[in-house]
Order: sequence, then C-alpha cells, then structure tokens
Amino acid sequence: MAVSDSPPTAPRSLWAVRAALAARSFKQSWSMFRGTRIGIIGLAIILFYLLLAAAHPILMNTVWDEKIYDPVVGYAFDETRQPAPPSWSHPLGTDPLGRDVLSQLMYSARSEFMLGLLAALITVSIGTTVGAVAAYFGGVVDTVLMRLADIMIMLPGISVLIVLSALIGVEHFELALIIGILSGFGGTGVVLKSQALSVVVKPYIEAARAAGGGPVHIIFVHIVPNLLPLSFLYMMFTVTGAIFSEAVLSFLGLLNVRMSWGLMIHTTESAGYLLQVGEYWWLIFPASLSITLLCSSFYLVGRSLDEVVNPRLRRS
Amino acid sequence: MSERPVLAVEDLTMHYSIKAGAVRAVDGVTFSIERGQALGLVGESGSGKSSIAMTLLRLLPDNAQILRGKILLDGVDIVPLSEERMREYRWNRISMIFQAAMNSLNPVYKVGEQIIEALEAHLESAREESIERVRRLYDVVNLDPGLIVRYPHEYSGGMRQRAIIAMALACEPDLIIADEPTTALDVIVQDHILREMRSIQAELDMSMIYISHDMAVIAEVSDVVGVMYAGKIVELGGTADVFHSPIHPYTRSLMSAFPSVTGKKRELGTLTGEPPNLLDPPEGCRFHPRCPYATDVCSNQEPPKVRRGNHWAACWNPQGE
Amino acid sequence: MARYLIKRTLQILLTLFIFLSIVFFLVNAQPGDISHVYSLNPDLPPETRAKLQDLFGVNEPLWKQYLVYVKNTLTGNFGVSFSLYPRTVADVIGERLPRTLVLFLTATVLSFYLGFALGKIVAWRRGGWVEYGSTIGSVTLYTVFTPWFALMMIWLFAFRAGWLPIGKFLDPVEWREAPTSANAVFNQMIITMIVLSVAIFAVFLFTTRKRVAGARLIQAGSIVLTAAVVAGVWIASGVAHLAWDIVEHMILPVGTLTLISFGGAMLLTRNSMLETMREDYVTAARAKGLPEKQVRDRHVARNALLPVVTSFVFSLAFAVDGGIIIESVFSWPGMGQTLISAATTEDLPLAVGAFVFVGIFVLVAHLAADVLYVYLDPRIRY
Ligand SMILES: Nc1ncnc2c1ncn2[C@@H]1O[C@H](COP(=O)(O)OP(=O)(O)OP(=O)(O)O)[C@@H](O)[C@H]1O
Ligand code: SF4
Ligand SMILES: [Mg+2]
Repeated sequence: MAVSDSPPTAPRSLWAVRAALAARSFKQSWSMFRGTRIGIIGLAIILFYLLLAAAHPILMNTVWDEKIYDPVVGYAFDETRQPAPPSWSHPLGTDPLGRDVLSQLMYSARSEFMLGLLAALITVSIGTTVGAVAAYFGGVVDTVLMRLADIMIMLPGISVLIVLSALIGVEHFELALIIGILSGFGGTGVVLKSQALSVVVKPYIEAARAAGGGPVHIIFVHIVPNLLPLSFLYMMFTVTGAIFSEAVLSFLGLLNVRMSWGLMIHTTESAGYLLQVGEYWWLIFPASLSITLLCSSFYLVGRSLDEVVNPRLRRS
Repeated sequence: MSERPVLAVEDLTMHYSIKAGAVRAVDGVTFSIERGQALGLVGESGSGKSSIAMTLLRLLPDNAQILRGKILLDGVDIVPLSEERMREYRWNRISMIFQAAMNSLNPVYKVGEQIIEALEAHLESAREESIERVRRLYDVVNLDPGLIVRYPHEYSGGMRQRAIIAMALACEPDLIIADEPTTALDVIVQDHILREMRSIQAELDMSMIYISHDMAVIAEVSDVVGVMYAGKIVELGGTADVFHSPIHPYTRSLMSAFPSVTGKKRELGTLTGEPPNLLDPPEGCRFHPRCPYATDVCSNQEPPKVRRGNHWAACWNPQGE
Repeated sequence: MARYLIKRTLQILLTLFIFLSIVFFLVNAQPGDISHVYSLNPDLPPETRAKLQDLFGVNEPLWKQYLVYVKNTLTGNFGVSFSLYPRTVADVIGERLPRTLVLFLTATVLSFYLGFALGKIVAWRRGGWVEYGSTIGSVTLYTVFTPWFALMMIWLFAFRAGWLPIGKFLDPVEWREAPTSANAVFNQMIITMIVLSVAIFAVFLFTTRKRVAGARLIQAGSIVLTAAVVAGVWIASGVAHLAWDIVEHMILPVGTLTLISFGGAMLLTRNSMLETMREDYVTAARAKGLPEKQVRDRHVARNALLPVVTSFVFSLAFAVDGGIIIESVFSWPGMGQTLISAATTEDLPLAVGAFVFVGIFVLVAHLAADVLYVYLDPRIRY
C-alpha cells in the first residue's frame, strides 16, 4: 500500500497528509464557491430534486396507493377523464394513460441522479487514467491517446447514441458507458492530461521513481489523486450531458427505460397533446422544466467550481 | 525657473479598493519636471511606481480612485478632465513605455500598423505621411524600416523594445514615462537601448520619467531622482546629491544594496524585513519598522521634510552632513 | 502557413479514417451483423439481396469486408435504404444533406455573429443588469431542454400567433401545381445565398482593407443593390412564391437553432473578452488615446475572437446534436431527421450512412475552422 512507501521520517502517512491538505483546501474552496452565487443556486436546485427523489418511496409506502400512483402501471381510477387536470389528489394531474404526473416526476428524479452519477464516475475513471497515462508516458502513447481524443471530441454524442439505439438496445447503463467513453477519452481526458503534465514534473514523482515505484503505482498513487479535484469539476458537466442526452433519447422514443422525464414528454407527444401547451400544460411543463433545471443546476455548479479552480476566471 | 514645468504633480493620492480595504498605492506625492529633464523613480517592488505612472495617464482600473491632488500638464490640471478630453492628452502629450514591453504589442497586427494607429488617433495626416513618419521613427531608434510590415512575433526582444520606443515618440509628446524599459532585456542590449534613449531625449529636448528598481539604471539616465517607499516619495533631489549624500535612511540602505553605485563597500546590512502592507501601512514614518535609526517619534508622527538646497527627504533623523 | 494547413488536413484525414473504422467496428461487433440484417430483411427481393451481399462482400473474411466498406464509403456507396426502398442511401442523403447544411450553417453563422456582438458589449460594460440578465439568459439557452424550447417556439409563433408554418419543409398545397421540384428551387436558393454572401463579403473586405472614404455608405448601398438584383431575378423566374414558401418554413427552425447556439457563443465571447482585457497591449492601446470603441473592437474583440474560434471546434459536436434535435421537432427533412427515423425504423444502412455523413460534416467544419484560425492569427506559420 501507499503507506509503506512514505519516508520513514514522515510522522503521518501520505494519505493522512493528503486528507489534511484536502480538508484545508476544501474549506477555502467552499468559501470561494459560496461567493460565486450561481453555484449556490445550482446546489439548491440539486438539493430540491434530491428531496423529491428521496420522498417518492416514502410516499408510495404511506399515503399513495400503489394501484393509482405507480409511475408506470398505475391508473387514476378516481378521475373520470384522462389526462386529468391538477387536483388535490393529483397535484400535477395525470398523463394521457391515467398515471399520476407528480409520481412520475419524482420517480424519474432518482434515476436521473443515478444515471448522472454513473456517467460521471465512468468519465472520471477513464479521464483520469487517460490523462495520467498520456502525461506519464508521453511519446507514442500520448500521441495515440490524443488523436483518439480528437475523434471523441468531434463525435456528436446524441447522434452516436441514436445510431447505437438502432444497432443495440440502449438502456441507462449503455448510455452512461457511452457518454463516459466519449467524454473520458475526449475532452475530460485532454484537460486532465494538461493538469497531469504539471504533476509529473513535481519532485515527489521523481522521488517515487527513484524509490523503485513502477508506472502503475506512480500513476494511480501519485498522479491520479492530484487530478481528482479537477475531475470533480468535469463530473458536473458530464452529469449535465448525461441527463440531457437521456432526456433527448427517451423523448425520441429510442431509449429502453421504464419511466423518465424525457419519456413523459414522449408519451405526451404520441398521445397528440404536444402542441396543446396552454390546455394541457401539466403534460409538458413539469418534465421539461425539470430537465432544464437539473441540467442547468449541475452546469452552474460546474461553472462556479471552475471559477474556484481557475483563478483566471475570478472576478477582480 | 522661469519656464513653467512640463509636469507638476501636487499631493497626488490614489487608492485601490479591494475587499480587504483600501490599498494606498500613491500617497501625497509631489514633484515636478522641467522641459528636457529626466526624473528617475526608484523603489522596491510594490512601492507604487507603476501606480504613479498609470495615474499620470489616468489609465487606472475600475477599483482605483484618485482621492486628492493635481496633475498639472503645462499648467492644466488633468485630474478633473472628462474621459474624452483625456484621450487628447494621452500619447499626444504623455506617452509611455510599458513595464511589460514585450506584451504591449498586439500580436495580430503589424507593428507599423500599431504605430500608425496612434498617429491617426491624434494627427490629421494622410496615410502616406504616417507611413513616412514611422519610417523616420524607425531610423531614429535604429530599426530596419523593412520591419514596419512585420508582426510582433517576428521581432526579437531588443527589436520590440526599440519599436515600442519608436511608438512612444510617434506624436512627439512632451513627456515619456518609461516603466522598467529594459528589465526584460539582457545587459548588453539594455545598455545600448538606455544610451540611445538618453541621446534621443537630449536631441528632442523631451522630458522623461524613468521607473526602475535598479539603482544603476536610474543613476545612468536621470537628472533628478525620487526614492519611493510604500506609496510615498521619501527623498528627492539631483542624481549626484541623492546618490552621493543620501539623507533618508532608506536611500542609504538601498545604496548599500547596490555598492556599484557608490563605489563604497557595504556599510549597512542589507534591508531586513518585509516591505509594508499598503492596506494598513505603519503609523508615522512608514519605514520605521525597518529603520536602524528609528526613534520613538518616528512611529507616531509623520516625518518633516528636511531640505538641503534642491534636495529633500522626509525623516526625523536625517543622515549625512 | 501552407505547411500547417497540410498537416492539419492530413491529421483530419487520419481522424476520418479512424472514425470510419470505429463505425465499421460498431456495426460488425454486434451479434446480428449487417450481413444478417440484409439477408433476413423480408422487404428485399432475392436478386437485390444477392447484389447487396456482393456489394458488401458479406461472404468474404472480415478484413476484406472492411476494405470493401472503406471503398464503398469513399465512393459514396452505402447500399439501399430499407424504409425508403428502393431508394439508395446515397440518393436519400443527396436530397437531404443540402437542407441540413443550409439550416445548420445559417444558424451557426448567425448565432456566432450575434453572440459575438452581444458578448463583446456585455463584457465591456461589466456589472449592472445588462450583464446579469444576458448571462442568465445565455445559461438558460445553453442548458434548456432543446426539444421543449423548440416546441415552445412553435407553439408561440406558429400555433398561437399563426405567423409561421408549424413545421416541415414546404406546404404541399402551394406546390401541387409547381413547375419544378422542391429540390431544384432549393438548390437555386442556395446558389443565390452563396452569390449574395460572397458579393457582400467582397465589398466589406475591399472597403475596410483599402480604407475607402464613406465605407459605410458603400457597404449599405451594395447590400441594397445586390438584394434588389437577386429579388428581381427571382421574381422574373416565376417560382418566387415557392422559394418564399421554403423560406417561411425555414425561419422558425433557423431562428430556434440560432437562439440555442447563441447562448454558448455569447458566454464564450464574454469570458474571452474579460481575459483579453487584462492584456498589456489593451492598456497600451488605451494609453495611445484610441477611442474606446476602437480599443474594444480592434484590440480586445479581435484577439478575443481567437479562443472563440477554437472553442467553436469543441462545441461543433454539441451544435450538430442541437441541429438534429431541431430537425426532428420541426419535421425538417434533413440529415438529422433521417438519422432519427432510420434509427426508429431500424433502417440500418440509412442510419449508418447518415451517421457517416454527419461525421464527415463535423470533420470538414473542423478543417474550415482551422483555416479560419490561420487566417485570423498571424503567429501560426508552420
Ligand atoms: N488593480 C489593483 N488592485 C489592487 N491593488 C493593486 C492593483 N494594482 C496594484 N496594486 C497594489 O498597489 C501596490 C503598488 O503596485 P505597483 O504596481 O504600483 O508597484 P511597483 O512599484 O510598480 O512594483 P514593481 O516594481 O513590482 O512593478 C502594490 O502593493 C500592488 O499590490
Ligand atoms: S523618520 Fe525615523 S523611521 Fe523614518 S526614516 Fe527617518 S529615522 Fe527612520
Ligand atoms: Mg511596476
């Protein structure tokens, strides 16, 4: 483990020092983050949707009857006409198939978060590895990875997903995987590589090499941890991308999912209510607004993290 | 002193406001320059030299305010002038050679074009005349006129510096401010350029302000020297007077840090301690925490001006004599 | 400069090659590969199927299939569409590519022009409600759920106000007795557009380069004049009302796509301006006593343009995706809609063909941006 490699004179292990440093810089960063305002707005929106997502199973187990409120197979027997306008029992009305819109909205929030998290984790795992490997080895490895990155940056992600949906069935996992690959081998990888370049010249890398550390050890123990703060920033943008792509794909009816915000609009469209925005607003606005809000919230958080990490962007 | 000075600065005070408070970068500065005279401003990094230069051209960032004082150009105070009127003074009356001369050329335009642009902003001359004028300016600064149509990245460091000087001369201003004009160049080029500037200045009978933290440079080019410490001029006088018989303890310690100027061996230890924080400068004499001659009065009362002929310093315990 | 462009072109060709290989790999990596899809598709008559199998070298080893695939792609041979049988993929694409190009290019040029112009002003007048409002507006446009935004545009301008048609490329009623096909008219419109923009560009270039006196007047005059000539020619041709029908159908999708890309372009310009404003040559330009507007446009904006062009390349993929979504919502029969409907009907050859073209399009745009960059930045010499 890493601990055994730290010099014997070091009173604390490498990880403990790192953790202490991280805690200190976290405090500083947090106060800077708070100063950006847009980040706080973003965070508030994220929290709101987290609460919605968490509340859904609770409601289903307490006040909501499963037969009526199930987001996929429920049916609002208490309404005479579907889609029904908002009422006390259905605050956001029901959809053309008689399902409760609020329940669908809350149920979908959870899967949006899971999707975003999964895509972000895949992106960051690939991106940090690619960045660290390219920076550490340089030469041919670097060239190959960067050429590949060129392509990934140029590939329009949604088009790729559309084609893939014709070739294979795309579900959440495939979606997250593809977005992770496109971004991890593409933009995120490139940015993390330039960050890693400033890490590989640090004396402790040389020291680790002199101490007999192999490439794998050095890359994962010494370089990758230094890339994590920056990759955290890019996770935010990945989440935005993932939620957006999911919404578009399910809106087009190309995604195999049980329920999602995009699918809710797709249902509206196939039932022919799409242009009746005024009369049937609850079929379009809640889902669309949720997609927009959650996408922009992660984008805003990313933006303000960017200001924290990049002093150039800070206001004087 | 029959002639009116080209530039007279009176009690000039400028602050930058930042979140933590006011940075007192220029504090009650008074000096004047006669026609054909070269004033050197010397001081540690952060003492407010560039801030004075930028205040004279009124090129300050949004967070800066001129609180007090006058900047008299040929008798006209430019502090209250409108931005539009101020534009007529810039470059036409005062031009500047910037500290980061290397970066003060726009990389996407030909160098000649950037000089012509300055000419066109102030003079009503046809394009051909402007080009001819740039050609002559290149002659003056010893640059090949063929370079006029080249881009900045095609110039070497020394060539760029010369082009910048040519640009500063373009409108034949009364005063040129040179902020660390040669710091980024190697010693030989630096020497050449300084000598050239000196002779151009004499030839055109222009006034100059040289700004540098390098005593040797200042000693070489200026007639009058002002020593800056923490936003204030603490000693001002003829170059020979200031360098050979400094009054202010800070000037003395600067001298000893540059033995080549005085020729003497170091008599004082080099300056210890940090330069003061301009957000909250020390009471009384701002130099007192670092001053080897400090007495009680230094730490709570502004030191008076001690005059010896045309040479003065602000100190409770003047040195020399 | 030439060497740099050649190098970039070669790099892009290499990228294209890798891209094609990835597509081939994707198509062949899945269990029922394309040959099975072909041989199992009941829509195809047996002789066509045999011909197709020949074309794709289905019975050959994989590496030969790969070579055949590359050759077919380079010669534009993508086989026959299932859903639009018996039309070939190349034929379908040939019909729809121009529509996408026009939609996309018009919207992109407009959005970058407007985004740049506004971003410039916003960055210059820091603070205040203008900056705040436009930043919020841009972030909203940048992150808004595109289909919803497009839908709201349709609802607002076509459905409620009734000013513009609801979608599609043309109005069939207008075209029932048309002497020519829509494509012929459309192609003439494209030619008109090219002539128009080249003429205006030339006048602008000439007047600003040569510093002609009264440049503004000449520019305005030339715009009016060329517009008048073009209008005259169209009216004389007798199909002007058909062209107008297409234009009417274009306004909303172009406008929507413009707005969507506009937000990003504006934010980009703003940030780039703010960074450029700190450069020493900007202070120097001010010190020279140049008018504020000249400092802003000639020194700050001109240099701020460089990172904007660079980021444009990175946002291309995003913009293409935006275009595809817009096409689908507006039922604009271009490449994007083709791609989507091919995917929904599992028309594999058409989907792959359309996708390859989308990829090639992005690469060409990439190259164009490179050329533009070289033109804008004199520092690039090799
Ligand atoms: N825009 C600004 N906002 C706040 N403080 C500033 C600003 N510009 C300069 N300062 C501060 O004002 C003080 C004087 O700076 P100035 O650049 O005038 O020093 P200087 O003597 O030219 O130093 P150097 O030799 O390093 O160029 C410094 O403490 C600096 O930190
Ligand atoms: S006033 Fe006092 S502290 Fe200041 S320089 Fe003179 S002796 Fe030193
Ligand atoms: Mg300075």
